[in-house]
Amino acid sequence: MSDIILSVRNLHVKFNLRGRELHALRGINLDVYDGESLAIVGESGSGKSVLNKNFIGLLDKNGFIPEGEIRYYGMGDKMRHYSGAGRDEHGSYIDLARFTRSEDWLRIRGSEICMIPQDPMTSLNPLKTIGWQIAEALLLHRGMKGRMAYEEVIRILEDVRIDDPCRRYKQYPHELSGGMRQRVVIAIAIACNPRILICDEPTTALDVTIQAQVLHLIRELKEKYHLTVIFITHDLGVVANIADRVAVMYAGDIVEYGLVDEIFYDPRHPYTWALLSSLPQLGVRGEELYAIKGTPPNLFREVQGDAFAARNPQALEIDKRQLPPYFEVSPTHQARTWLMDPRAPKMEPPAVIRKLKELGRKGGEADAEN
Amino acid sequence: MLKYLLKRFARSLLTLFLILTIVFILVRQMPIEGYFPNFEKMTQEQIDNGLHQMGLDQPMIVQLGQFYWNLLHGDLGVSRVYNRGKPVWDILKTKIPISVQLGSLSILFSMLVGLPMGVIMAKRKGKLADHLGTGFIVLIQAVPAAVYYLFIQLYGTELLGLKLRFEPENWVSWLLPILSLSLGNIAYYAMWLRRYMVDESTKDYIMLARIKGASDGRIMYHHIFRNAFVPMAQYLPTSFLNTVVGSIYIESLWSIKGMGGLLVDVVHKQDNNMILGIVLLFACVGILGLMLGDLLMVLFDPRISIVKKAGED
Repeated sequence: MSDIILSVRNLHVKFNLRGRELHALRGINLDVYDGESLAIVGESGSGKSVLNKNFIGLLDKNGFIPEGEIRYYGMGDKMRHYSGAGRDEHGSYIDLARFTRSEDWLRIRGSEICMIPQDPMTSLNPLKTIGWQIAEALLLHRGMKGRMAYEEVIRILEDVRIDDPCRRYKQYPHELSGGMRQRVVIAIAIACNPRILICDEPTTALDVTIQAQVLHLIRELKEKYHLTVIFITHDLGVVANIADRVAVMYAGDIVEYGLVDEIFYDPRHPYTWALLSSLPQLGVRGEELYAIKGTPPNLFREVQGDAFAARNPQALEIDKRQLPPYFEVSPTHQARTWLMDPRAPKMEPPAVIRKLKELGRKGGEADAEN
Repeated sequence: MLKYLLKRFARSLLTLFLILTIVFILVRQMPIEGYFPNFEKMTQEQIDNGLHQMGLDQPMIVQLGQFYWNLLHGDLGVSRVYNRGKPVWDILKTKIPISVQLGSLSILFSMLVGLPMGVIMAKRKGKLADHLGTGFIVLIQAVPAAVYYLFIQLYGTELLGLKLRFEPENWVSWLLPILSLSLGNIAYYAMWLRRYMVDESTKDYIMLARIKGASDGRIMYHHIFRNAFVPMAQYLPTSFLNTVVGSIYIESLWSIKGMGGLLVDVVHKQDNNMILGIVLLFACVGILGLMLGDLLMVLFDPRISIVKKAGED
């Protein structure tokens, strides 16, 4: 596997809400490899977006990082004078968790790590032309102005498959459709020339036909510009479509991660089982769709043991008392569940998951085309 | 664009016509006692004679026709009581410039102070500067203007060593009336700009600008301020014109020979031609203000278009 570009180590994030503390991220450990596309999946409120906002310094004002590190290796030695700089076996890094001033983030945002926000309809400035908004990124990160910037904008617009770029350059966001606006947002990200591109549910606001096009486009640009892509999504279809690796989040923690095939066809954590079982595609006609019972734990209180235990009918006694460590399934696949402990009783995954394993052999190709 | 302007202009004329007609009719519903200072002692014959001289004995429609006919010839008639026998326009002509000058300077000052104040408050939302600004706004809005006008006059003149009376040729004596006239607008501009800027700063596109790597200052200026100014722009012309025409209290306080208070005065005196002349002026000013406001909006916001474009999605 290639080099690590971003390494999250025991990251905790808390929010102050009306005098109480919400423990949104509870010790995240995650490595992101250069040039890969990583999907972070989980239900709403699991902390996917909070995690990624840390990478770009956009945590809400009441949020803070009590402990943990976010080591970014993409800058090499360029920021070695900063207080968060250091060296480890993967190279020189800068610890993003120690950034305090907004000026620090200006070195990272856009040029190193960029993000495509969720809703393209509201993400563009309604009073500026498309061209101006893309050119702003060029000015900020590549010092381009005038004719040169104009030509580069046109080139990028072509890159994101917007027809008639010279006309579009002068148009305002309200003159474009949702899919077009998402392409413009992507164009802005490309203009920043980042190393890591975070896509925060980039297709949820779009209709299905456009979704596929946008995903295709992101995949294409990833190759062309050698991007590392982090996908935040709760759409497992998107994951199958685009990701090399998957991290499954639940209640502010990563419960399982592995290569996309490992997660889909050999999941180990009960939450991953439940998540996959609720896929409509796997339902049996005439039967009710599977839904996970209960609600995620209240993160205002400290969670004891495995956060999913309360909703897992087959939870072991130890799940309720002690947080399981990560167990290695394969060098690329780890799961945080006591079921992997050699002392644990042998537990069969649900029937649906076993079915999925079989599907894995033949259905893989059909899925990729969706 | 031209077509729109013409249409708008025609509609404005219609509005003007309605206003003038209604005011004309209303004015003539006033009791006739008001036209004669010694009404009780007059005989019926004298009264009829007086009414005839003023043309008030003719049917309403004829009077109205006469009024518009004269108006079309640029004749607003002469003042009856206010300045007996002097053409209405000549009276207004002497009063407009001073009010316009005062109003313009005051608006300029209000913008120079109020807009930066709003920006600073939005930037430091929840911090000391914001609280101080809010305190000022609340004070200005809650305390009746008459009270702080008096304070400014009393202590201001003492401080600057001025007379209580306004002297057009002495520039220092302009300062205090302008300050008084501006305070309300300053509070107003600061309050709304702050509010609009705070609104804008929570929008998604500001987050994208941040993601892009734009600095706080750049975001403040290029994205937040510019966009927050749009809803303000619509109000500016009206507020400007309102300030020009309506400063009754300040003008009387400083004995400024402007337009403020003139309308109330001539209504009291039942000086019909003066009333209509002033109403005409104020109506024009109001209509123009709204029109300019709308045009400014079009200028600032590309989403607002006054011409329908073909082939829009």
